Amino acid sequence: MFKHALTGIRVADFSWVGAGPLTTRFLAECGAEVIKIETHKRPEVLRKAPPFKDKENGIERSGYFSSRNPNKKSLSINMNHSRVREVVVPLIEESDIVINSFSAGQMEKWGLGYEDLKKVKPDIIYVDMPPWGNVGPYAKYKAFGALINSVTGFNYLSGNPDGFPIGTGTNYTDHIPVPTHLAFAIVAALRHRRKTGEGQYIEIPQMQAGIAVTSAVALMDYAANGRIQSRLGCRHPSVAPHGAYKVKGDRKWIAIAVFNNQEWVSLKECMGNPRWAEDQKFATDEGRLANRDELDTQLEKWSSEQDGEELMFNLQKMGVRSGLVYNAKEVIIDIQLQSRGFFVYLDHPEVGITLYTSSPVRMSKTPPEIRKHAPLLGQNTFDVLKNILQLDEVAITELQNEGVLE
Amino acid sequence: MSSLSDIRILDFASEMGGYTGKLFADLGADVIHIESPEGDPLRYSGPFYKDKPGRENSLKFLYQNTSKRGIVLDITKQEGKEVFLKLIKTADILIESFPPGYLDELGLSYAYLKKANPGLVHTAITPFGQEGPYCQWKASDLTIMALGGLLYLAGEDDEKPSWAYGEQAYMAGSMYGAVGTIIALYNAERTGEGQFLDVSMQAGVATGLENALQYWDLEKTIRRSSSATEAGYGVYPCKDGYIYIVQMGDNVYLWEPLPKWLREEGVKGSEIISQKEWESTRFRREAESKRVFREIFESFTMKHDKQFLFEEGQRRGISLAPIFDSKDVCENPHLNYRQFFKTLFHEVLGGEVCYPGEPYLMEKIPWQIKPAPAFGQHTREILAEIGYSKEQIETLNERGVIYV
Repeated sequence: MFKHALTGIRVADFSWVGAGPLTTRFLAECGAEVIKIETHKRPEVLRKAPPFKDKENGIERSGYFSSRNPNKKSLSINMNHSRVREVVVPLIEESDIVINSFSAGQMEKWGLGYEDLKKVKPDIIYVDMPPWGNVGPYAKYKAFGALINSVTGFNYLSGNPDGFPIGTGTNYTDHIPVPTHLAFAIVAALRHRRKTGEGQYIEIPQMQAGIAVTSAVALMDYAANGRIQSRLGCRHPSVAPHGAYKVKGDRKWIAIAVFNNQEWVSLKECMGNPRWAEDQKFATDEGRLANRDELDTQLEKWSSEQDGEELMFNLQKMGVRSGLVYNAKEVIIDIQLQSRGFFVYLDHPEVGITLYTSSPVRMSKTPPEIRKHAPLLGQNTFDVLKNILQLDEVAITELQNEGVLE
Repeated sequence: MSSLSDIRILDFASEMGGYTGKLFADLGADVIHIESPEGDPLRYSGPFYKDKPGRENSLKFLYQNTSKRGIVLDITKQEGKEVFLKLIKTADILIESFPPGYLDELGLSYAYLKKANPGLVHTAITPFGQEGPYCQWKASDLTIMALGGLLYLAGEDDEKPSWAYGEQAYMAGSMYGAVGTIIALYNAERTGEGQFLDVSMQAGVATGLENALQYWDLEKTIRRSSSATEAGYGVYPCKDGYIYIVQMGDNVYLWEPLPKWLREEGVKGSEIISQKEWESTRFRREAESKRVFREIFESFTMKHDKQFLFEEGQRRGISLAPIFDSKDVCENPHLNYRQFFKTLFHEVLGGEVCYPGEPYLMEKIPWQIKPAPAFGQHTREILAEIGYSKEQIETLNERGVIYV
């Protein structure tokens, strides 16, 4: 009946950088109309962050920005103008969801806190996403996703034993833990509104959502057993071999994970049953774990002579859990992801045809869809004022001359 | 009505996808975790409560299955299928992580189930999805992290990559499974039509590559850990551990407080990084800049502990935080002020288990956890709810179709 599951939902999106824009991206790919509220004076941080098309800086050229903002509209206004409420408040009245990722108190300063907006739009769903939470000793502290990874315990737990605690090497919580939790909460709130007519306030303390996905079990282990878990490289606490092993070529590895004797027998067969592997000390789960230094050394001596791709297909044929450690280019040309239609190319007025990813969820009735490139700054200002706020051209021009619009 | 208590979910997922049902259950949905007579493999996965291996002691199992009810049912047996079909008629959602084709072989495909329940949302969470050349490949969290491209990023230069804690490929599958499922439920409730959701963990992982795909697409550069890319961005050692600092992009207001701090502390070399060119990302990314910065900054950080650097850095508006270990997190004054950790008494363990708390706080939908079900804890209760008599339940139990 509806092409998309969230057709008819409108989001006034004040969020920027990572977790907020990714959340609204999920909603936008399921059909919600997301209006990104931006300003020229302090452009969204990611518009100025690399990579840029052809390595040439420019606020319309960042792939970091575009990857988080397809399908959205951009409204550019001066949030500090005395008349900005003439635009913002009616827009919120026409919206279902308001989301921001500013430091605590910024929206209130503009008179756009939840208590203010509830008065003009009683059933609004309002989202704050403070890094640390609205209250508590760190409430006013700053953070990016990388810092959330650090304070959740995730970084400490992830890295090579003799190396730095680097986590995933990314602002991980921004990309999966926080935006997915938040999108889930928002749709739960939409459902609640449909059933009761009520809007609500949602606080997502990013540190807490981060813990839920990353370090939760390690924290339970500390609480129950007093154990402080630490970094294991690619090793598994209870099985071996389990690791990333060198294959032919620069920076090429294959991940192999053996969980039981049967898988070990298959791996041995793939290796041509070398004499070292027949040693009884490797014949049991316990034995392999106890002797994993030697096991890993021998296995890598063998794998480093192999062509990675050929090896992966051979191992899979024998039922051994394995996968090449793909770099970004290899991900893009991977036949499995391509067969799902995971990559989409969209034409953009300034940077031309560039790559986007689509949803990891395929839905049989209302498929998510990436159809429109990330907006140019202010690209939809006129359209939003005319079609959503129903302002005529005279009024729009006046707001423009006044400097409310940018 | 103030929660998801009117939703019923049948949940077959184990380590791949177990967290999906938890999100619903902790907001009040009736999530029935269905285990085979062998038990959910997660039950045998460590670490264990009080370090005692046992069916009820796995901390991972306890975590992923909070607030669910549990039933043991053998759906490979005909009578088990009948029970399952009765349950399907009462359910809104089915979550499973079987290998593609497994339910079809049992005669329980989505096409069949939707005849019994047209509004059903059927969510299948698998390593590679239901179709395509790898769909039957053997996988583990590590191999999916590898094929999704995230493993590669966890390392610098030629360093061997490291595996992220907490099985993040499984979690990515679970999280996208949850988002897709609630969106599909929202749609089903307004249209009466359910649908089939095919979630790929590999694709889920590939959404988490930050900007690595775009680096290749736009600049033909292969990146690894962002922690190594820029002076003033990443992990630095300090007196009692490590800190992480993020001075990002070309926004001067983000960069400027750092050189100012080092100048005020009289750090040798602070005048060098106060020069104009350091305000540009491009400059900070040059190998020589990174080397110079590290030397200057570490001469300062190594004299101080992580808590001092955290508080003083933050006071100065610098995005800096300590790298906490599990003890630091559990004893953290901020989280404890927020009463984040929850303790539940488990009868079957005869003790209390401490859990991480709310991922979000919703004004109208309370988040609350209850202990995960013991093996077969609710089998009897649930079968009675769908009309089985005491005698029938005993017979099914004797035949090994269920476990009570």
